[in-house]
Amino acid sequence: MSQLDWIVLGVSLIGIVAYGLYKSKTTRDLDGYFLSNRTMPWYLVLLSIMGTQASAITFLSAPGQAYTDGMRFVQYYFGLPLAMVLLCITFVPIFHKLKVYTAYEYLENRFDVKTRTLTSFLFLLQRGLSTGISIYAPSIILSSLFGWNIFWTNIVMGGLLIIYTVSGGARAVAYTQQLQFVIIFVGMAVTAYMVVRLLPNGIDFIDTLKVSGRLGKLNVITTGNTDKGFNWNDRYNIWSGIIGGFFLALSYFGTDQSQVGRYLTAKSVSESRIGLLMNGLVKVPMQFLILLVGAMVFTFYQFNQAPLFFNQTQVAIVESSSYKDSLHIIQQRYSSLSAQKKKLVEQFVGDYKSGRNTDQPVTALKQVNKETEKLRSDFKNILEKEDVNGDSNDTNYIFLRFVVDYMPKGLVGLLIAVIFLASWGSIAAALNSLASTTVVDIHKKFVQLDCTEAQDYSISKWYTFAWGIFSIIIAQFAGNMGSLIEAVNVLGSLFYGVILGIFLVAFYMKSIRGNAVFISAILVEIIIILSFVWPWLTKKIPSVIDKMPSFIQHFMEGMANISFLWLNAIGAIGMIVMSFLLQLVLKKRTN
Amino acid sequence: MSDEIKEKVPVFRSWNLWYAFVILFLVVLIILFTFFTNYFA
Repeated sequence: MSQLDWIVLGVSLIGIVAYGLYKSKTTRDLDGYFLSNRTMPWYLVLLSIMGTQASAITFLSAPGQAYTDGMRFVQYYFGLPLAMVLLCITFVPIFHKLKVYTAYEYLENRFDVKTRTLTSFLFLLQRGLSTGISIYAPSIILSSLFGWNIFWTNIVMGGLLIIYTVSGGARAVAYTQQLQFVIIFVGMAVTAYMVVRLLPNGIDFIDTLKVSGRLGKLNVITTGNTDKGFNWNDRYNIWSGIIGGFFLALSYFGTDQSQVGRYLTAKSVSESRIGLLMNGLVKVPMQFLILLVGAMVFTFYQFNQAPLFFNQTQVAIVESSSYKDSLHIIQQRYSSLSAQKKKLVEQFVGDYKSGRNTDQPVTALKQVNKETEKLRSDFKNILEKEDVNGDSNDTNYIFLRFVVDYMPKGLVGLLIAVIFLASWGSIAAALNSLASTTVVDIHKKFVQLDCTEAQDYSISKWYTFAWGIFSIIIAQFAGNMGSLIEAVNVLGSLFYGVILGIFLVAFYMKSIRGNAVFISAILVEIIIILSFVWPWLTKKIPSVIDKMPSFIQHFMEGMANISFLWLNAIGAIGMIVMSFLLQLVLKKRTN
Repeated sequence: MSDEIKEKVPVFRSWNLWYAFVILFLVVLIILFTFFTNYFA
């Protein structure tokens, strides 16, 4: 990185911390610290909601996802706009009316203390773990680029944002997210422009799309249908996006305190609602554009040789292992295929521009891409060997590698700042929500019942700090989770369905009481977690699994084969059905 | 309080209109994306 890049990066990061501290002045009580005295206009609420959801993971993994799997990931957000309308009708007015600090307070009013505590515990567990992953995401940038120790990088990375989050609470979080968003969008727009500029003369934006489209990377809409019918294990298609995405969005924005805490800072119900509705309208186009950058990077690497593996640290590991010779053979073949790829893509563009038939170069280009992918798989197989023990997933490194190798001085620094700031936006909101839930739903309920306002304020700061430290510790173990964006979404889907189910029962099934909901939540959560770890359990404890009744084995196998996005819907619907049945049983017993 | 909340449907007259608008928005997006996918494929 050049001196100019360091200056741009340093000024951006220090500027955000200083701005956060400058905006830290709030009243010294829970209302000021966690809800910014409920004074925020809708556009700040909107930016805060978007800044909380769009973490560094979004900007690191999404372009990589488009590069490897195409743009179909955008379908994941199709259920979000509908969920925003339902939230505005049901959740938002109730939370505002009750003047709650956390979403879970409502559950005590509706059910009982134990349901409230269980739900806040599930939230703390899920959000605490995923915040750790969010800290790890920008840390891999530094460690990969400069060979820094990942342990210390995580600590420094998480530590800087803790400064203004502890100091200013929700107000500092919202104001810094506003500034972060401006920098992020400037950075991404300039990158998209630069990708096209870096292509050979005569290749324009439409040509770029034509290349990635013909090679199957602009597959925005997919149905999930195969010759054998609908593939339930297919992660991203229009149906999993609309149905699964609807439940996930409803759960994330309606019951995850990191989001509820953002729109509770609004000065009125209307301001909260407008912020959420606008989010529903801009999220899909925004995600489409981020993925498009990844598809354009894919085209760029048709004209230029892509690295065999985007994480160079892993290449260096193999280079110094006994598989060095195999690596050299793979690399030689890879270079020769890349040269062929360049010729073919140039032929394709030439034929396409002059109106000739392009089937021949496209078929040949697809074949060469298939062969390069095979070589990449061969390399990944080496990484997975026991005596190498490397990380065989480089999705998160694709966009970053491109930036460092091809972006001009100054822009590299700006784009690395973009990754940092995006990450800080979501981590800061998460720490604020983790602290508010711990203080309001646990500490003030079970540990210290009578606190003065000054004590509340002080305890809140300490909990924010403690969650920051916890998240950094989790970040140290996040290394081998594959695509980070998927890791966070998978983790969320394990818990969100049940949490959403609890709230849906609370809002719409008035006859159901606390005991039925509490027992159902525990049972459904156990089933969902078991289904997720089922393949692992069948390998580790086959003798125990074999002793189980066959219908349980079949049921769990079926559950284990379902893509994670469906778990949100299954968890929520499972909760509704089980609560209903349990309530009937409990009622009968009482009678 | 609840009456005040009921009155404030932003932009449109009722929430049903919001549902209709969002469904229309999604349908238009899906049509455009399908066209985009097919055109460049």
